Amino acid sequence: MLASYLTLAAILFCVGLYGVLAKRNTVVVLLSIELMLNAANVNLVAFSKYGVVPSLSGHMFALFSIAVGAAEAAVGIAILIMLYRARGTVNVDDYDELRG
Amino acid sequence: MDTIFTQLGWLVPLFPLAAFLILTAMGRGNRTLAAWIGTLASLGSFALSVLIWTERLGSDALDYSDGFRWLSAGPLQLTLGFEITNLTSLMLLVVTAVSVLVNLYSAGYMKDDERATVFFGYVALFAFSMLGLVLADNLLGLYVFWELVGVCSFLLVGFWYTKPSARAAAKKAFIVTRIGDAGLLLGIILLYWQMPSHTLDFASIQNVFQGQGGAIEAGMTTLIALLIFVGAAGKSGQFPLHVWLPDAMEGPTPISALIHAATMVAAGVFLIARTFDIFEASQAAMDTVAYIGGFTAIFAATIAVAQQDMKRILAYSTVSQLGYMMMALGLGSLTGGIFHLVTHAFFKALLFLGAGSVIHAVHTQDIRQMGGIWRRMRVTSVTFGIGALALSGIPPFSGFWSKDAILHTAFQEKPLLFALGLAAAFLTAFYMSRLFFSVFTGKARGNLGHVKESPWTMTLPLAVLTVPAVLSGLIETPWNNTLGHWLSGGTETTHTGGGLVMVASAAVGVLGIYIGWLAYAKGTINRETITARVPGLVRLLGEGYYVDRLYNAVFVQGVRGIGRVFAIIDDHIVGGAVRLVGGAALLLGRGGTRLHNGQVQTYGLITLFGLLVLLVSIAGRGWW
Amino acid sequence: MLEELPILSLITFSPLLGLLVLLFLPKQRSRWLKITAIAATFIPLALSLWLYADYSSRSPEDAAAYGESVTWVDVALNKETVGDVASYSFKLAYQMDIDGVSLPLMLLTTIVAAMAALASVHIKKRWKAFYFWFLLLEVGMLGVFMARDLFLFFIFFELTLVPMFFLIGIWGFFGREKAASRFLIYNGLGSAIMLVAFLLLTVTAGFHQVETGSGEGVRLEYSGSYEVLQESFSNPDSYINQGAPESGGDTAMTTAQNPFYLSEAMRWTIFLLLLIAFGIKLPIAPFHTWMLRVHAEAPPSIVMIHSGVLLKMGAYGLMRFGLFLFPAQAGEAAVAIAVLGAVNVLYGAILAMVQKDLKLVLAYSSISHMGIVLLGLASLNEIGLEGAVVQMVSHGLISALLFLIVGSLQERTDTTELAQLGGLARSMPFMSGVLLAAGMASLGLPGLSGFIGEFLSLLGLFDTQPVIVAVAVLGVVLAAVYVLRAVLAITYGPMPEKFAALRDARLVEAVPMIVLLAMIVLVGIYPSILTDPMAHGFDALIHMLPGGEAS
Repeated sequence: MLASYLTLAAILFCVGLYGVLAKRNTVVVLLSIELMLNAANVNLVAFSKYGVVPSLSGHMFALFSIAVGAAEAAVGIAILIMLYRARGTVNVDDYDELRG
Repeated sequence: MDTIFTQLGWLVPLFPLAAFLILTAMGRGNRTLAAWIGTLASLGSFALSVLIWTERLGSDALDYSDGFRWLSAGPLQLTLGFEITNLTSLMLLVVTAVSVLVNLYSAGYMKDDERATVFFGYVALFAFSMLGLVLADNLLGLYVFWELVGVCSFLLVGFWYTKPSARAAAKKAFIVTRIGDAGLLLGIILLYWQMPSHTLDFASIQNVFQGQGGAIEAGMTTLIALLIFVGAAGKSGQFPLHVWLPDAMEGPTPISALIHAATMVAAGVFLIARTFDIFEASQAAMDTVAYIGGFTAIFAATIAVAQQDMKRILAYSTVSQLGYMMMALGLGSLTGGIFHLVTHAFFKALLFLGAGSVIHAVHTQDIRQMGGIWRRMRVTSVTFGIGALALSGIPPFSGFWSKDAILHTAFQEKPLLFALGLAAAFLTAFYMSRLFFSVFTGKARGNLGHVKESPWTMTLPLAVLTVPAVLSGLIETPWNNTLGHWLSGGTETTHTGGGLVMVASAAVGVLGIYIGWLAYAKGTINRETITARVPGLVRLLGEGYYVDRLYNAVFVQGVRGIGRVFAIIDDHIVGGAVRLVGGAALLLGRGGTRLHNGQVQTYGLITLFGLLVLLVSIAGRGWW
Repeated sequence: MLEELPILSLITFSPLLGLLVLLFLPKQRSRWLKITAIAATFIPLALSLWLYADYSSRSPEDAAAYGESVTWVDVALNKETVGDVASYSFKLAYQMDIDGVSLPLMLLTTIVAAMAALASVHIKKRWKAFYFWFLLLEVGMLGVFMARDLFLFFIFFELTLVPMFFLIGIWGFFGREKAASRFLIYNGLGSAIMLVAFLLLTVTAGFHQVETGSGEGVRLEYSGSYEVLQESFSNPDSYINQGAPESGGDTAMTTAQNPFYLSEAMRWTIFLLLLIAFGIKLPIAPFHTWMLRVHAEAPPSIVMIHSGVLLKMGAYGLMRFGLFLFPAQAGEAAVAIAVLGAVNVLYGAILAMVQKDLKLVLAYSSISHMGIVLLGLASLNEIGLEGAVVQMVSHGLISALLFLIVGSLQERTDTTELAQLGGLARSMPFMSGVLLAAGMASLGLPGLSGFIGEFLSLLGLFDTQPVIVAVAVLGVVLAAVYVLRAVLAITYGPMPEKFAALRDARLVEAVPMIVLLAMIVLVGIYPSILTDPMAHGFDALIHMLPGGEAS
């Protein structure tokens, strides 16, 4: 049972990772980060239910993580909007201020 | 005998030193005053030298030396001092006498030059250095002054410094003699370590080498002697280092008389005489000196025959006569070498000053544009003629006796050198008569309307110099070995009898003059047809056997070429290596920058890649 | 009264006094700034002249009395104590001293610095900053020659780098930035290597036992003190010398038992590190490219200091730390050092012959002359070593004088290209005369200082390496060639029209010229003035060299 949850989480994480590394649209990148976050949440809940020592703390931690994720998404989107206003684009290729 | 003046010997060079300092402080000040300061200072030295000399006339006078500690470094303890021996007192006399006359002469000759004060300053510095050289009591002290006279020669050759030819001649004079000096320096260093007591003073050298008890091995002795000879050859213009001397005639003529005829160029001969014990300890070194001297004598004499410049003829003649002196020393005749040095100093100074008088009047040095000067410059002509006769070795003039002393030794020791010497004597007489008849007799070939006799300051030295030019030979004749006894402390008895040699030597002299007279005064021998028949030979001699060109092509261009190659190496290989290291660092940085493209996604990808590598390596550890 | 004062520190830090005054002056008042700075350089000059006279008059035993030592850093180390060992500590001291090697170089520094300060009147901008760095540079140079602690030495050594960097980079000519950065990078590299060598020295030879009162137990200490190092290396019973593999069973411990034993390989490593570190500064070819640019681009008054003093720091360091701490290694490497020296002499001389710019001629001639210092060092006997020091002092004076003239020349003619100059003896007889005299000194004319250094170095080396000396003597001939070529191209020959109106030296230029020339002549005609005080210091050092007991 645990294995299928973990497999689901792994697939979700990989899809998210692919999105973060490959997508050009910043909004999609942000969404992909959420996917990775949720993959972690799935793991937390799965271990909490089917793990070696089942307890509720995993569920609690998942809820906490979702709350933090929501806050993070809010801040992320706010930054994105500011970036869009400043640069007039949401294409990540154009955000190269870190270039050496 | 009282030796009060001998003890004051250190004062002799101080007169001109003081004059030098005063004249330097004067800048380009009063020119007449400068001439008087120079003349008086040299007169002071001369007076003291005469007094010292009279004290030493008795052959029993002991050598006297004194000095102060000069340079000490660990075991090395050197003094700077003076030593008065019979040889040095004689040299003092010659140097100061010529110096007085040249100073007086220059007062007239340099009257119109705006830098005359500087000129007299340089001359005074030269006199100081030369006297220091003569008086030095050790080899290093001698070397110090040896170099100083070289610098004075350089300064005076380049006195008219705006002329590029004077600049080149000065540079050449310094560098060529410097090559010899490097050898001398090496010889001194070698001698220092070889001497059992690690000293360099002449007294110790004499002790060590006279007592040749195997203190220094034979090969080393030869090496030391040859290195010293290299120095002497540079200074005294011996082949193959003779090339600077003819060019040095770019200097004012009184300088040619003082430095490049009478005193400095004889310093090489003096050096060998001073270290004669080292040479006597090595037969190989003696032979080298003798053969190089003999070769130089004939070599330079042949070149002198084909020169057209009055001063260059005399310069090559000087080289030739210096060769004679070297030959005498190499044959073991210290007396012969020094005797010829003394007589030559007087008659060659006379000849140069006479030439200067002529040049001063006609403003050219080319003998083809002179002629008939006899009618306008009587004093100069007569005195020059006497000098020429002395140089040509006509009895009873001084040159005859000294040349005879040398030829006589050669006749006994090495017949080949005797033949060379005799041939050189013939050529000497020939080129001197050529010079004399071309310049003073016949018709004027240039515009000589303005020519008149020089002022008394110039003619008086000429007149005075004729006296020793005629008489100084009498101090050493086959019937009277005064000089030899005096110099060697009574041990050396050369120059006895030998009527055959005397006749031969006088005969070739007369023959040379006769042929010269036929060709250049009477015109019986048509020289155009002769020179036209051997144009190659004339050019060969005129160019001095192309030695200058050869040196230029091989050494000057060679060193320059090496320099260029080194410059390329320095720029591209050494500098290139530095640039390569710098470039490598830069390239590495550029590579890093390329990765740093500002794309967070790229960074993430690389991070992921790194994580995978890490994981694989940790996981894969099990299989290794 | 002067005896009680810490005279060495006073000399070293006295330029700071002027620096302090300088800071309170407004930066536009160039005249006052210059006067203050020049005055500030004369304080150490006066003090060091007094010290020189005082030192010369003392007996060798008495001469050690100048030393100063104050504990600076003393850290107790948290190491396990074994047996009767009570404590470990790491100690750095502010230790200053002089001896026969330091003294002439210190005097040289103060003279050249004062003359360079006078020559700096040609500086056209930012006088306050210029003299600020200038005086700081002087502190560093003086400290280097007197420091007797490795780290103090290192600090002073670095203290010369930073001011030089700014002095070249701000007040230099066209390519100044590049020259400055190359100078800093090269010398920084040398310093890094030197630091590694110093650290190695501290943790090996610097480890020693401190004398303590009875009953307190043994105190062991890591120290950077030169005295300690010298003692460790020369004393056969010291930690690092005990238990050498080849020393047989005579000493109590073997290598296995004595972890402190400094192996032969390690000694060679440190020696070679020092050779490279100071070789860059000296400079030994092929590490010389940085100094060419400095010579060409730095303001001439700074080159006076650079060529006159800074290059000597390399030779001084090599002598003090390389030769005297590692006499055995130096003995074995003597041939190599002599060969390097001969290469320097000839390489520099040949390249000096083909340069088109006077400054580069002088730069390469510096390489050639520093080669003679190397030759003197390689002799490892008293004659050669004294010759090396004399050569350092002499070259310092001569190159300072030459660059002083270069500065005045460039100010008037705007060029140092040989091809564009000529006949200047006509319009500037005094300066041309001094230039000729300086050139003569540079080519080793007897009666001037250059000859003494050259002669002693060659004489000393000849005892062991006659062939190398014979080769190096060629450099004497080549020196005549390149010096005369350059000097005559400037002063002799026809004069271009535009130079007809040039002024001869002003008083402020003539004074330093005359002073430097007088020093050169003085050393040349009475060298004992330099070699006598030097002998004091050498007697103590020379016995450590292989075969040094003989004298």
